Amino acid sequence: MTKYIVKRLLLMIPTLFGVAVIIFFLMRIVPGDIVELRFAGESAYAQKENLDTERARLGLDKPIGQQFLTWIGGLLRLDFGTSMWTGAPITEEIRLRFALSLQLAIMATIVAILLAIPLGVIAALRQDTWIDYTVRVMSIAGLATPSFWLGIVFILGLLIVFKWLPPMVYTPFWVNPVQNLAQLIWPALAVGYRYSAVATRMTRSAMLEVLREDYIRTARAKGLWEKLILSRHALKNAMLPVLTVIALEFAFLIGGLVVTEQVFNLNGLGMLFVEAVGHRDYTLTQALVMLVAFVFIFVNFLVDLAYAWLDPRIRFR
Amino acid sequence: MAIGRPVDVAAEIPEATRRRRWLAAVGEFCRQRPLGAIGAIVVVVNIVVGVSANVIAPYDPLATDYGAMLARPSAAHWLGTDAFGRDVLSRIIYGSRTAMLVGFACALLGATIGAVIGVASAYFAGKVDLLVQRVMDIFLAFPLIILALAVVSILGTGIVNVIVAIAIPMIPRAALVSRSSALAIREMPYVDAARAAGFRHRRIILRHMLPNVMAPYLIMLTAYLGQAILAEASLTFLGLGVSEPTPAWGLMLRGAAVQFAESAPWMAVFPGLAISLAVFAFNLFGDSLRDALDPRLRAQ
Repeated sequence: MTKYIVKRLLLMIPTLFGVAVIIFFLMRIVPGDIVELRFAGESAYAQKENLDTERARLGLDKPIGQQFLTWIGGLLRLDFGTSMWTGAPITEEIRLRFALSLQLAIMATIVAILLAIPLGVIAALRQDTWIDYTVRVMSIAGLATPSFWLGIVFILGLLIVFKWLPPMVYTPFWVNPVQNLAQLIWPALAVGYRYSAVATRMTRSAMLEVLREDYIRTARAKGLWEKLILSRHALKNAMLPVLTVIALEFAFLIGGLVVTEQVFNLNGLGMLFVEAVGHRDYTLTQALVMLVAFVFIFVNFLVDLAYAWLDPRIRFR
Repeated sequence: MAIGRPVDVAAEIPEATRRRRWLAAVGEFCRQRPLGAIGAIVVVVNIVVGVSANVIAPYDPLATDYGAMLARPSAAHWLGTDAFGRDVLSRIIYGSRTAMLVGFACALLGATIGAVIGVASAYFAGKVDLLVQRVMDIFLAFPLIILALAVVSILGTGIVNVIVAIAIPMIPRAALVSRSSALAIREMPYVDAARAAGFRHRRIILRHMLPNVMAPYLIMLTAYLGQAILAEASLTFLGLGVSEPTPAWGLMLRGAAVQFAESAPWMAVFPGLAISLAVFAFNLFGDSLRDALDPRLRAQ
């Protein structure tokens, strides 16, 4: 087991390095750089000298290979440097945004789990009845509805029916939990519904598969209470693929909610992404991409680990 | 008796029989999977509407009418008008053209390139396979929106660039799926036979292996169609996709639609419904197609 974990951890390195190479050079292909953008606002023709000093200050005058090595060297020491646009340390820039994105992702996950598992189980138990059909249609509809549009509809509904708008300025949870939840519950519902659709379908099909297993028949044959069969024998075994879907979707939510954040005016990681690319803030964009890629790879790793942990058939292979 | 040329079985079936078989298969599908059939019908309607938008649409989607700005849905404007007095229904009808174009182009590009890479990776095995796998891992870990942002920043906005931006992230996912199906096919005797016959790698991959991953390919294709339409709407909504004046659903939800949401909710509601309905239909059809094509599910 330890050998497996070490091997998987080591395998993360080449993948992260590949992501680093791609984002570094991709950003350099994007036309226009931060210095041009900054001086473009000030005067129609900024002195070339000014541009050059600014580039030298940011280290953009050095050969590209050297820039890359400097950056990678910093990454290895977990030093992300400072934002080229604001000059603030990148860890500072990211921290608050990350807290918001993380909270939203967690809330959406809770919504998704609360919807998906009961619905998926009921649909599987009542396969091919109207309940099953309703759940299936609901989940396909969830996959088809853009969550940013659902967000717009929520805001519209609140506005027209209750004449009330959710707060548009972010308050951290520890400052004012009510204010915080009143703002974040709507995007969490909009995103959670879509997210639950994937999980519901997975729960349903996993349950259907498990319910056909011999050990369920055995449990029934020995007269075990149906509730116990479901909770202890069926659901537990059906949860593995559901866990995978939920975890992967969670990894996506940490930087992938750009549009929903826009609709609800939330300053999360997604918005930061768009700003960073817009400003050609190389250091910030690179750090963000590395962060999101790391979360994705790490969650994948955890899922594989959980599989090995929960399923002895995999552990002892 | 000398061994003759291989017989092309399909060629010996008369055209009429072949057509009848097709119809029978379609009939079977509709009977067994009514939900899928409904999805297919909506998809076809969507395509027809998109193709013949200039005939069906009651108004020019770009024509502004300052006398009827933000008009409620009425007999003249079934779904109302937007902040420039443009007919919402006509814009949705024309938007269908954009959505279908982007959807089909992205799904075809993404699924096909992905399938070729996946099958080739499985066929060559060994070091090549390992390398391809690693590269695909990197792209999978890469945030989709950044890829799209970068592509659009490099190439500029516009429909072709949006298609590229959406299709690229689909490739590694398609490659993964096709590779796992192709691994089993590689061990088939006919692939060995083809290799023994001295065919080139390209021919074996394209003519012998690729057609046999058709089932997962079609499933991916239908799933990607919906996803591409959603992605296009999201990118466009962010201002990174299709740009004015091209009528697109995501574009209709942008700016004024949110600004005037309280007084003219139809501007924000109907385009979103159009997106949902189109993607819903593709998913419904795709799901049923998967059930029909996947032998493991068929047995259940």
